[in-house]
Amino acid sequence: MPGTLSKKLALTKERLYSLVGLAIVLALVPVFLGFNFYYVLLATNVMLAASLVAAWNIIGGYAGQLDLAASAYMALGAVITGHLLASFGLTPWIGMFIGAAVAVGVAVLVGYPTFRFGIKEVWYALLTSALVVIMMRIYYLIYGSFETYIPHMEPEWLYLTFRRYEVYYYMLATMLVIIIWVNLKIKDSKLGYYLAAIREDELAAEALGIDVRRYKLYALMIYAALAGLVGGIYITLTGILSFRLFDPWLGIVTAVMGIVGGLGSIGGAVLAAVILRSLEEYLRGAIGATYPGSHLLVYGLILILVGVLKPEGLASLLDYLKKKIIRR
Amino acid sequence: MISIDPSLLAQNLVNGVFTGLLYSLVALGLALIFGVMDIINFAHGDFVMVGAYLTYVLATTFLIEPSLTAFITMPIFFLLGIVIYKLIIEKVLGAEPLIQIAVTVGLLMVLRNLALMIFHAEPKGVPFTIFTQPIVLGPITIASSRLAAGIVSLVALGLVHLLLTRTKWGIAVRATADDREVAELMGINVKKVYAVTFGLGTALTALAAALIMTFSRADPYLGLLYGLLSWVIVAMGGLGGVVGVLFSGLIIGIIEALGITIVGAGARELFIYLTFFFVLWFRPRGLFGRR
Repeated sequence: MPGTLSKKLALTKERLYSLVGLAIVLALVPVFLGFNFYYVLLATNVMLAASLVAAWNIIGGYAGQLDLAASAYMALGAVITGHLLASFGLTPWIGMFIGAAVAVGVAVLVGYPTFRFGIKEVWYALLTSALVVIMMRIYYLIYGSFETYIPHMEPEWLYLTFRRYEVYYYMLATMLVIIIWVNLKIKDSKLGYYLAAIREDELAAEALGIDVRRYKLYALMIYAALAGLVGGIYITLTGILSFRLFDPWLGIVTAVMGIVGGLGSIGGAVLAAVILRSLEEYLRGAIGATYPGSHLLVYGLILILVGVLKPEGLASLLDYLKKKIIRR
Repeated sequence: MISIDPSLLAQNLVNGVFTGLLYSLVALGLALIFGVMDIINFAHGDFVMVGAYLTYVLATTFLIEPSLTAFITMPIFFLLGIVIYKLIIEKVLGAEPLIQIAVTVGLLMVLRNLALMIFHAEPKGVPFTIFTQPIVLGPITIASSRLAAGIVSLVALGLVHLLLTRTKWGIAVRATADDREVAELMGINVKKVYAVTFGLGTALTALAAALIMTFSRADPYLGLLYGLLSWVIVAMGGLGGVVGVLFSGLIIGIIEALGITIVGAGARELFIYLTFFFVLWFRPRGLFGRR
């Protein structure tokens, strides 16, 4: 059937082109920002949020599990990369993969019994939120409230201790493109179809013979690994190891961005992260000094509006625009 | 082996019991809302936070005892709950859990950051209360504010229990919780039951907040702690009614006390949340569940 085959290829091609287009746009962002220190740092933060949300999309969007522990896996990757670098001088290039592996290990340790005992919906959300607090407390019991600083080490390319933000920006932007690629790959794979079936109706999926627990665990592992890698890069940017990295709030915000973006739509998720994070920084700069917290207040209002009026999120808007463009 | 001073253990256990009673009161509103309306409210803890600030404002402006402000804040919160129900919650009744969580997280962000905008980040405490004299019983010292908070919580739990079991309204509420459609067919105004339940659940947080302010301070981040804590208690209590909530709160209070005694103050949340994990894994219907 050559017809269907070419159709399949065309779809992949379209996606490939969008991905390459995105990469080119991301590569040009610092140029448009005139390599301004502050703006590039903001752009780096936006890339960080977008990467985390894109990773979350695998467990939250595709598998439909409301995971609030993105910050736990990210922080695990960060503290392990950071401590390996600060204490043993191990390059983050290796450290971040060890960090990601540990994040996957914790994900399995927590995810296996959780999926085995059928924890879902609100209880899964609460459990994962509690996981962040548990890990924060464990880190606190080991290291106390001390902050460990990663010193400047030479050569910079080996220890990732650059003095300019552009490098970190490009690393996180690359990471974002890779995570989107992973998302697209999963979506078209057997795993992706299984996850979609699980998200729509877990019982029906199980009745069809899908090993629900196993595929949920796979999604969780991939998500944890990607979040751990993002954390590994993040720590080379900030260089401060602290229990505050395990921030339950960041886990919630990540999920929020994914929901606002429309569940299961990687484009919507990334768009939501970029818009909300930029808006947050803009509002912080514009009114945050006089009214602390006002930028997050706007966030909350948007979330209520999206939930009450348009549960499909930004993705429905994207679809709408796409249809309009195609019709022309 | 870890050696524990028995009088210290007794002291912490007594504290744990009184704290646990207060936790039960905080969780009771959430248990009502979740049990009756099936609404997943992530903003519950932040109502406690707003209540704490309201208590602070009233107590310091009119120079009244913080615990007594509950007589003013509870009616205000009852109305606030109904308004929020009408504006937001009613629109997501029966929606996917994810949507409910998203909307109530939005509400949480609004409440928290409103508090941050108005009061800034430093904690605010009421500098006076009538509960200052500690009660000394041999080696154990009980802070009278904690004792009062525990007793008032217990009384409030008892009253809500009576309300649910002995009044016509309570029967309507329980009928709605059991089967919404049948209750509707029996002539119960379900919408009204929901609105009043949400109002009551919110009003209870105001009482808890007034009690908390006799020994603690208000800060914008109070919400996350009490929110998660309430959910842990609801998970343990299952849908076993007021009694389930009471015992779960006590268990959590005692576990917290043991954690503080054995490991230290840094571990208090650790033990509570680990308990949460094990309860969900092994007793997903809660310890006192009936469904």
